[in-house]
Amino acid sequence: MKDKTPEDRLQPISTGAANLVFVAPAMLLFGLFVLFPLLSAVYFAFTAWNGFSEPVWVGLANFRRAFADTVHLASYWHVTLYILGTLFFEVSFGLLMAVLLNSDRFGFSFMRGMFFSPMILSMSAAGVLWAFVLDYRTGLLNSVFDALGLDFLVQPWLSQSSTALLAIMFVSGWKFAGFYMIIFFAAIRRIPRNLYEAATLDGAGPVRQFFDVTLPLLRQNMMVAVLIAVTGGFAGFDLFFTLTNGGPFNSTEVPATWIIKQAFDQNQLGYGTALTVVLAVVVTIISLIYLHISERANVIRY
Amino acid sequence: MSSATDRARSPGEWVQFAVAGIIVAAMFYPTVWMVISSFKSNREIFRSPFGLPAEWRWKNFVEAWDLGGLGGLYLNSIIVTATAVAISVVFATAAAFAFTRLEFPGRRIFYRLLLIGLLLPPPVVAIPLFSILRDLNLLNTLWALILPGAAWSLSITVFLMRGYFNSLRPDMEEAARLDGANVWQIFWTISVPMVWPAMLTMIILNTINIWNELMFALLFIVDEDKRTLPVGLVRFYGYHSTDYALVFAALTITTLPILILYFFLQRFVIAGLTATAMD
Repeated sequence: MKDKTPEDRLQPISTGAANLVFVAPAMLLFGLFVLFPLLSAVYFAFTAWNGFSEPVWVGLANFRRAFADTVHLASYWHVTLYILGTLFFEVSFGLLMAVLLNSDRFGFSFMRGMFFSPMILSMSAAGVLWAFVLDYRTGLLNSVFDALGLDFLVQPWLSQSSTALLAIMFVSGWKFAGFYMIIFFAAIRRIPRNLYEAATLDGAGPVRQFFDVTLPLLRQNMMVAVLIAVTGGFAGFDLFFTLTNGGPFNSTEVPATWIIKQAFDQNQLGYGTALTVVLAVVVTIISLIYLHISERANVIRY
Repeated sequence: MSSATDRARSPGEWVQFAVAGIIVAAMFYPTVWMVISSFKSNREIFRSPFGLPAEWRWKNFVEAWDLGGLGGLYLNSIIVTATAVAISVVFATAAAFAFTRLEFPGRRIFYRLLLIGLLLPPPVVAIPLFSILRDLNLLNTLWALILPGAAWSLSITVFLMRGYFNSLRPDMEEAARLDGANVWQIFWTISVPMVWPAMLTMIILNTINIWNELMFALLFIVDEDKRTLPVGLVRFYGYHSTDYALVFAALTITTLPILILYFFLQRFVIAGLTATAMD
């Protein structure tokens, strides 16, 4: 590799194959439970296999089926919408709250802690809680709309196709906005105060300051946040499983829920594995393109 | 001299405080609603969703604890999490030490291989992992969660520990080497105490991830008495979805202790969970 990092040039404390003993435990564990399954996934993807019998080689049949499987194709449309939703409800909302909660005044540190708290709940706990919040008859949300006289907003949020995906995006925002808030908050704290003082002297109000000072300087953090949201979005399973499990009528089916259903409910492990290979390829391609773009984007210094 | 926090708040700051306060309160309200509802009867949850319970029904908790076998779920979650976290952090620290302080054949290749795990979504290997665990006779044992849980935590842990090692100069380790200490002694007596803060961060991050893991736990465990909390909770909801009070009680028992712990250890937890995205 052409660019050596400084640490590579330091003199190692010790050389020789005996040092392998320090990486061996990690590499064995990683090899057995991550790399080996990954490689065997590539093999199983070309077989018909129900999990009990011997896998039978079927060539590209699984992939041909995958690209004709309308629910499978729709699951990528849903996950794309979901990721766009998380960019709004998680990343943008998190950024807004980072600005709003950026103060040394009394109470703000406590509010940041409260805002972050959903992050530590498990997805299943969050899912079960929100299944109740969004419940048609007894749900908190509909009760609030009812109390406010906004009857037209009372909806069976999770059990109709038109709102289920939106509801999941919203819950996801509730759960993860705190994560992005803290990332942006830490970055905002590193911006030198004098930039804002200069902007104030130039007559820029809070809104102008946000767009002209804060936002350009957070560019790198935005890049990282979007990458996390996109790769995390494709892997999304827990919330979908707990809230709707792909329903109603497959309207919230995402790749992960469809894969698990095909493989374990239908006992089509070969086909399910082919779907996981498609998912891995899609995530890899998108990550590579994204990293390529973000490397080229110039980094602003201050 | 008076600092910025001593001055009276400007009108703008009051607006900021009020807007932030309303949003944060609205976001936190579902959690409060969950705790309050867990003390009510089903009728009351339906009739007065916002009010305090007329009678604080502590027996909801007793009932949920017994019916859901929550004690067993807690115990399994603790065993799985403690073991997997210990394995992942110790293995990853040793590997990060080797990647930054030692030279050996395959150093770069091994590190690149580990990085694959950073972007790989877990569903991708779920199916082959299922058959591997079955061949190893580990399916439906807690090891089916411990080993993959630890393995999946390695990439991020090695990556972040390596960054931490690189931020520290190896002067102490080199001095010990000149004094005739062997690599093993250097690792345990000098490096580990030196990177302890980063290990603590990784312990917290991995604890939360493994504690909350759902998909592997759903696929690799069949027996009810070997389930962990996330699966147990989803199944409990499945069986008792119309018994609101009971499910709220189970939710509260399984989340409130964690939330309280979080508010005590907030600073460390936030540092741990956001370590992924911080440079």
